[in-house]
Amino acid sequence: MSDLSVAAAAALGVPESIVLRSAAARAAETGMTVDEVLTAWAGGGVVAGAPPAADTPAAEASPAPAESSPEPAIAEDTPAPVETPAAEPAPSAVATPSSEAVPATVSGKPPVLVGKTDNPMAVMVGAVALFAAIFLVGLVGPALPAENPGARSSELGFSEAGERGRHVFQTVGCFACHTQMVRPVVSDVGLGAVTLNDSNQVLGTRRFGPDLSDVGTRLTVSQIEAVITGLGDHPGLSLSQEDLDDLATYLLESQTSVEETKEPVSPSEDAETEGEEG
Amino acid sequence: MAAAHFLVGALFLVLAGALQLLALFSLRFGGLSPVSFGRMESMSNLTVMFGFLVISLTGGIYYVLPRLTGTRLWRKELALTGLLLTSAVVIVDLVVVVFGFGSGRQPLGLPWWLHIPMLAALLIPLAITVMTIKNREEKRNFVTLWIVIGGVTWLPLLYLAYSAGDLPFVSSLGSTFSDLFFSAGFVTLWVFTVGSGLFYYTLVKELDIPLAFRQLAAVGFWSLGFAAAWWGIAQMVFGPGPGWVAGVAASLGLAFPIGALANASNVSVTLQGHWEELGDKPGVVSGVLGLYLGVAVAVLASFASFPSIGSVTALTAYWEAIEYAALFGVGVLLTAGISFEALPRVAGREIRTNDRPRSFNRMTIIGVGGVMISLLAAGLLDGYSWIAGSNSAAFVDAGEGWGAGSEATEVLLLFAFGFGIIAFLGQLAYAATVIGTLINGRPVPQEVLVYGDGGETDE
Repeated sequence: MSDLSVAAAAALGVPESIVLRSAAARAAETGMTVDEVLTAWAGGGVVAGAPPAADTPAAEASPAPAESSPEPAIAEDTPAPVETPAAEPAPSAVATPSSEAVPATVSGKPPVLVGKTDNPMAVMVGAVALFAAIFLVGLVGPALPAENPGARSSELGFSEAGERGRHVFQTVGCFACHTQMVRPVVSDVGLGAVTLNDSNQVLGTRRFGPDLSDVGTRLTVSQIEAVITGLGDHPGLSLSQEDLDDLATYLLESQTSVEETKEPVSPSEDAETEGEEG
Repeated sequence: MAAAHFLVGALFLVLAGALQLLALFSLRFGGLSPVSFGRMESMSNLTVMFGFLVISLTGGIYYVLPRLTGTRLWRKELALTGLLLTSAVVIVDLVVVVFGFGSGRQPLGLPWWLHIPMLAALLIPLAITVMTIKNREEKRNFVTLWIVIGGVTWLPLLYLAYSAGDLPFVSSLGSTFSDLFFSAGFVTLWVFTVGSGLFYYTLVKELDIPLAFRQLAAVGFWSLGFAAAWWGIAQMVFGPGPGWVAGVAASLGLAFPIGALANASNVSVTLQGHWEELGDKPGVVSGVLGLYLGVAVAVLASFASFPSIGSVTALTAYWEAIEYAALFGVGVLLTAGISFEALPRVAGREIRTNDRPRSFNRMTIIGVGGVMISLLAAGLLDGYSWIAGSNSAAFVDAGEGWGAGSEATEVLLLFAFGFGIIAFLGQLAYAATVIGTLINGRPVPQEVLVYGDGGETDE
């Protein structure tokens, strides 16, 4: 540990031990003495052919042998030549591509992987806070149950076989092509009653085949089984008889029109009704 | 450690590409496929998302961390455990799903009992990143560092939110929202953010030029974080959720293209005057292509978030196109951006020829672009034919009119399958580049990092 290494470490802002290793490697590579390298790094000169490595005070080696070597060097077995540590960057260097704003390093080239002395753990706290916000607003909020008049709802349950069939519907992946979700849009007119947010059907998000919210009112159980096993354009599914029966039961019970849609009564209509009754 | 991650990731990419190709095949020729489209898609999603994108980008993180912090990677053996655990969960889940024992939830289909080991596997990169940064010698942080820490923090939280959809008291709607939240969040909070962050390192390192704007990188990072929830929920526009969701999704979904544009423009400005140097740097080209494709994906997703557009595109193949392009296009290209840069430095072997990476770039852009355009067109055609069908009552009565309405899209689905083959060839070229470099790349000086006084080294 010489005064030179202390001065170089102070000038570069990295630990002295790393500066010494880097200087030794650089000296070996350039043919200079270690003291000459350290003098240059401390501000007294230029090291020939020394590219800066401002990303890290740790090293990136360039041991030369490998071009002609039959086998590559193995990291753990390689001696440890190291590269020039980073020069002290100015904060402005990161915000501009202009080399004028970047202080020259010992080789006269601008540092590239420079940053600010901020605390990355603060980013972690911010990331958690942001996630909490989007989780609450983007997932919990929309999924909360709301008071709505029900067409197909969890109050209209499936039979035991229907529940098993619902599981088959999911595990086979039927919902990857069929929705059970009727929306109040022109596209869905005639498909059944509009699905509300307490639906106990498998909603799905893709519709490569027809919507099945109300399929139970349109087909018989034998027709449903025929389609599942490959009638028409529908791919035939290889299911056990039990699974097939359960799935057909679930689809047969998938009806939105078995329960009358209760229209919300406006206060004025309510008053009129009371008046008539009165 | 990074090399092992890139190698395993490349193998999973080939598997994911093959499964996705089969999924596209079963979408068009359902009757000929032995496994249903739904199961095939879950398997493909799981393999590309966790087998490839999580493992490979984690490898990229393990590569840059020591270089940006000036200290050794914390507990390399733990990193290896994470790699093995993630791989094992993916393989077990593939078996579970193909035999019909999965949960059936999109996009992964994992049964509830696999959530715990998967969550444990995702916590490992977080622990390693935090501890490595805690021990850092370098106090000046390059932008990649805080983008990486954001990504590894978000991923386990995101998975936790997804697994919550399996809780018994969660409604069908809650479970569906959870699926969409996870799918969208994975793309924005992991693929776009971490992929872009790692590419910033590649760009600056390969070209030896400073990044143009640190602030713009911050805008990209936080905008993508903010956008995560919204473009997923936009798929349920006019669905059974509360009415305010559609309006909020439309306005806040704009953060997605803002984030993608911020990153792409930052890279473009950085590259000013250096474009001609990209000829022999296929990794940088991959990253640039990934960022530009990301802008297209983000704009299309944001566009469809508006209720007027969403009423046509929701539930159609339009969204299938966006998810495919985000995972198999943007994700794969950004991963190549870091892995092509890192491999020679960690393996001591250079990519033997740039022909394979160039082929990878070319076939990925043509293949993924072709699939995306075909599915987008199929989605729009479907959406408009549903509107026409409902006006003419053609789809009423068990959807008998469905076949006629969707016949026109069958040609487009066939095109998608054809382009899918090209994309798969690109994925094979990526795997061949990674494996070929590790096995018989041209020996070059290897990068060795040295820490402390004990002469200990780290790759």
